[in-house]
Amino acid sequence: MSAVLAPARPRVAAPPRPRRLAVRTAQLVTGAVVLAALWHVHLDWTGLRELPGDVVHYLRLMFAHPDWSKLPYALQQTWVSVQMAWLGALLGVVVSTVLGIPAAQGVGPLWLRLPLRAVFAVIRAVPEVIIAIVILTVTGLTPFTGALALAIGGIGTHAKWTYETIEAVPGGTAEAVRAAGGTLLETARWGLWPEAAPELLSLALYRFELNVRTSAILGLIGVGGVGDLLTGYTQYRQWDAVGVLIVVVVVVTMAIDAVSGALRRRITKGARARVVDGTE
Amino acid sequence: MSATPSVSSPEAALAASGPWPVRLDDVSVRYPDGTVALRNVTLAVEPGEMVAVVGLSGSGKSTLVRTVNGLVPATSGRVQVGPHDVGALRGRRLRELRGGVGMIFQAFNLADRASVYQNVLVGRFAHTPTWRTLLGLAGHDDREIVLAALDSVGMLEKVWGRAGALSGGQKQRVAIARALSQRPRVMLADEPVASLDPPTAHSVMADLARINAEQGLTVLVNLHLMDLARQYTTRMIGLRAGELVYDGPAASADDAVFEEIYGRPLQVRDRLGSAG
Amino acid sequence: MSVLAAPPRPRTWPRTVAVLVVLALITAATVTPAIGGIRIDLGTIARHWHFGWTKVQQMFDPDLSILPRTWKPLLETLEIAVVGAAASALLALPLSLWAARPTNPTWGRSAVRAVLNAVRAVPDLVYATVLVAMVGVGALPGVLTLVLFDLGVVVKLVSEAIDSADARYLEAGLAAGGTQAQANRMMAVPQTWPAYASQVLYSLELNVRISSVLGLVGAGGIGRLIDEVRGFYRYGALGVIIVEILVVVVLIEVASNVLRKRLR
Repeated sequence: MSAVLAPARPRVAAPPRPRRLAVRTAQLVTGAVVLAALWHVHLDWTGLRELPGDVVHYLRLMFAHPDWSKLPYALQQTWVSVQMAWLGALLGVVVSTVLGIPAAQGVGPLWLRLPLRAVFAVIRAVPEVIIAIVILTVTGLTPFTGALALAIGGIGTHAKWTYETIEAVPGGTAEAVRAAGGTLLETARWGLWPEAAPELLSLALYRFELNVRTSAILGLIGVGGVGDLLTGYTQYRQWDAVGVLIVVVVVVTMAIDAVSGALRRRITKGARARVVDGTE
Repeated sequence: MSATPSVSSPEAALAASGPWPVRLDDVSVRYPDGTVALRNVTLAVEPGEMVAVVGLSGSGKSTLVRTVNGLVPATSGRVQVGPHDVGALRGRRLRELRGGVGMIFQAFNLADRASVYQNVLVGRFAHTPTWRTLLGLAGHDDREIVLAALDSVGMLEKVWGRAGALSGGQKQRVAIARALSQRPRVMLADEPVASLDPPTAHSVMADLARINAEQGLTVLVNLHLMDLARQYTTRMIGLRAGELVYDGPAASADDAVFEEIYGRPLQVRDRLGSAG
Repeated sequence: MSVLAAPPRPRTWPRTVAVLVVLALITAATVTPAIGGIRIDLGTIARHWHFGWTKVQQMFDPDLSILPRTWKPLLETLEIAVVGAAASALLALPLSLWAARPTNPTWGRSAVRAVLNAVRAVPDLVYATVLVAMVGVGALPGVLTLVLFDLGVVVKLVSEAIDSADARYLEAGLAAGGTQAQANRMMAVPQTWPAYASQVLYSLELNVRISSVLGLVGAGGIGRLIDEVRGFYRYGALGVIIVEILVVVVLIEVASNVLRKRLR
């Protein structure tokens, strides 16, 4: 090859590699924070070392011989949890939609938007369990308390999603309605609603999916449902019953996710198809 | 042949040991969905030859070049690249073959968020043990080869920049550098200029022709415009619906040949305009 | 003059009505006590709303004497959140690459996804409850809970992001004679980095919220204190703790938003 025989030239002089000081600093700070946290938090290292053995041991206790006689009761309590989740989602979504739409930029005025958004942020920071603790002083240790806690606790995130969805609607349609002389209400109905509705419906279903998980948590403070059972059996170390409960929770949650996920895909896809066909 | 003694000059860094011939013998490709992309194609490309493959989109051009490096396995027939029988290769042997065959793509296929350097280092994969890549260790020689490859396409300035920040023509040059850093014996190009504006397209084609002339590489380039093939290559292969319908000198391909390949007479929009 | 012949208007209302009827039926089933539904007792709310209102009022009457006792558990909460997020981040990157089609065209993809779907189906505090019973009270069950929870979220979202992103660059890596692992490391990792880092930050935000209640079941952090003051009906102190959590959550959210913007 002629190239090999070419006279040797000095090596390629590459431009110097830029120093990325900001990135390096960020990496170092992150690493330091993680290491400091790891060093300072009192982790039970022997516990961690024995963990794999423990996990195998307890998994065997739970799932080797599950106590299937507990199944009917577990299913019944799971149904209670699902009811809490449904009712909580319904109430929460209705309230979130009513409060979330005026909180969207371009819909409500600033003096209304800011306090609403502050309220949502505060609710987001308060765990559902604590909301339930307050509500149970009114309605007692009942599933209704659970549903209310889910509804109120859900407002924080759901109202945020609502106004974000509305704000993400491309301005063109609303503008066209406004240009045609539409009022605020007409703008919302004909300009925003057709664009935002599929997404909002899909989010409402997603809220239900999330609530199914959270409702199991609320059971821990005694408002009923499958979480209640789970705490009880775990405290009394009836692992064969805990195993049954976990199986039920996983199966029911995944089934609900699957159905709801399929519906959500249909809703968002169907909306897109209609727009493309121009039949909407 | 893949072992690299220390590099003394940029030219030496990119020098390959010798081009490979490419031979397709009665090759057909049928995709799992039933589409037949190639029908009984027989073709021989001599070492160091530059050949254009033209045809409509969907005529099987992309499939044809991908059978050469085994990205698409031939359903029947035999693909011979240098000493390798492509159909018989698996795993490490297949990667060895691919290491000897550079490829550039219509969409450039760069990792936009990685640096230009990292993207070109990809060309050294076949000569780097996987564990070294995983740990992010590049050898000194690899570094020299990458820099020389970038220098040879005039992109050394951008070596530490992000690939995504480049223009289309610059991206394709980086992609060529990536292929060159493999020290390939065959260069495949799948519609390398279809995403570029005419002047940039011409300069990229000129780069390919220069590589073919200076390094003596075997080059197989897919084009959907015949006039580019006429300008830059000597030999032209015409594909239509997966069948080879023309194989001859690019210069003598006239309007009748065009109609044979494209199924309709030549029109003004089929020309990209001449270079310069 | 001829009348304009419009194509027949598609009838969508029967379907809308059907959907509404189904929703109404489900709702009715969930609120009918006779078939095991929830009893909506508006009467109790009317009669007892002031109990709740008093509690809320007490919360707004802060009992600052609790403050000195909150620092250590609050710090522990943060530490659990950080360690949990970091440990899950380490595991999540290879698992995400494994669970996505472009980065793993061969095998085991659906197995990883199925396991993680099951992991995600179990609520966080349920993990905490069971893990506390397994490994004992302390920060360890808290960290483990968060690792499991974060893995479920991060791997799902990141692997879906890889699936939906344009991954033609990987073809170039394979065409150059690379192994899938090489192409993933050198090309897919930088390409996926923004999605991954932003999900890890998001999981850190969630972790702060979650770890503040983990203590309720004995998994460390400020939740233990929440449980205690609630037991003694010290709602003023509870209010102070909630405000502290609020401040920390907002700070982390702001910091993570700033970082996320810089990722692009």
